[in-house]
Amino acid sequence: MLMTTGPWVWVAGLLTLAIYSFLYKDNPVYKMAEYIFVGLSAGYWAAFLWWNYAYPNLFEPLAQGNYWNIIPIAMGLMMFTQLSRRTSWMVRFPLTFVLGVSLGLQIVAAVEGDMVPQLAGTFSPFTRGAMFNTYDFWTSVGYIVLLVGVLTTITYFFFSKEHKGILGVSSKIGIYFLMVAFGASFGYTIMARISLLFGRLHFLLSDWMHVLK
Amino acid sequence: MDFIEKIGRLDRRIIFLTVALAVILPLFFPLGLPIEVTPPVQQLYDVIEGLSEGSVVMMSIDYDPSGAPELQPATLSILRHCFRRDLKVLMLGLWAPGVPLGVQALDEVGVGEFNREYGVDFVNFGYKPGGAVTLVNLGRDIHDVCRQDIYGTSVEELPMMDDVKAANDIGLVLSMSMGVPGSDQWIWYYHARYQGNLATAQTAIGAPRYYQYLQTGQLVGLVGGMKGSAEYERLVDHMGLATTGMDSQSVAHLLIIGFVILGNIVYWAEKRRKA
Repeated sequence: MLMTTGPWVWVAGLLTLAIYSFLYKDNPVYKMAEYIFVGLSAGYWAAFLWWNYAYPNLFEPLAQGNYWNIIPIAMGLMMFTQLSRRTSWMVRFPLTFVLGVSLGLQIVAAVEGDMVPQLAGTFSPFTRGAMFNTYDFWTSVGYIVLLVGVLTTITYFFFSKEHKGILGVSSKIGIYFLMVAFGASFGYTIMARISLLFGRLHFLLSDWMHVLK
Repeated sequence: MDFIEKIGRLDRRIIFLTVALAVILPLFFPLGLPIEVTPPVQQLYDVIEGLSEGSVVMMSIDYDPSGAPELQPATLSILRHCFRRDLKVLMLGLWAPGVPLGVQALDEVGVGEFNREYGVDFVNFGYKPGGAVTLVNLGRDIHDVCRQDIYGTSVEELPMMDDVKAANDIGLVLSMSMGVPGSDQWIWYYHARYQGNLATAQTAIGAPRYYQYLQTGQLVGLVGGMKGSAEYERLVDHMGLATTGMDSQSVAHLLIIGFVILGNIVYWAEKRRKA
């Protein structure tokens, strides 16, 4: 059989072509596919948030007699008080709570998971003497490049003093490190986009049209 | 209008068409370009090779169908490696749309290829909401976070989970990730507290950010994009979609490099002409 008879594969195939038709020019078929996507996403996420967050964590325990859940429900409702100027002061309570919890989690995570290990990773080859003990020349070069890259890039973002003299030279080198990083990131982005295109084209040619095995 | 002007005003649809052809043609006429295994992927392979039989690999499906072309081949290959090594797999996910992809992968590899038994050799707890809070609690008490699997079975009724209670019962955590919540959260909220082996598979767009964690030892392996997936397919000697896609990738990349060079030549030529 040349093409699939599965109705949902046909729907997916035709919608994929409808979206790609925008590459030729904007048209009603593309608009229709776009609206279907937006509508489906809104419906999906509404149901998703209800069944995964609100119902199992708030309303189901409340129905089973856990009356402590009235507090988060009330705080959730307070978020809507900002719709009126007279009651908008009440929104501070839930916002303060969310900010407090988020900051508590984020600060610990940023220090424990990012700042300290990254600093240790940058400087430890020197402090432990690993760089001088290793016989691998290029590994040692890598450690030095890493340290120079970190220091010069940081100086580029140091705005309290005019970038002249040593600071100017350092920040200029920092720009080159940043450009290399952006280039690597851009290259990977192209790879990701081509992968997406490949995924869709493979689907069209294989699952839908059956011209690929 | 001369050649430089023509190229400068080239209809962008011609570029779209040539990129599409660059992706499609290698599917019909494979080039079989070599795929070299890079150290970050080899490191992950070696860590899994080093786990003792019966160790538990916790795999978090933190992607949705748009990340599937890059990450699903890696998921399938790593599962193949785990089951081949007689490791146990505990699956969960921080992205709800990723759950069906995880089920599909376990059915295809765990049941279809290796005839493994659900509840004994692998379990699937599906989507876990809560992000940071969930991960902090997960390392402390897995049974508290994963009370039921995706089929509604209590964790107490799953034989595999008898000895899997906390982070130190897990041999390797794998975050198959394409965004937030994902590998960042696993590094910051889980690994920072409980340590152990943590590795990630990333879509190409996110991969560059994670090399820094590899250098510090916070990650023990990194599979980046379709290329990383193709490397893992090579390591487990099971060529799949990622390997097929690499020919298209390479041809499309060459074409884009050509366009970049051509664009720069035209830019400089026009600038010189105006001067």
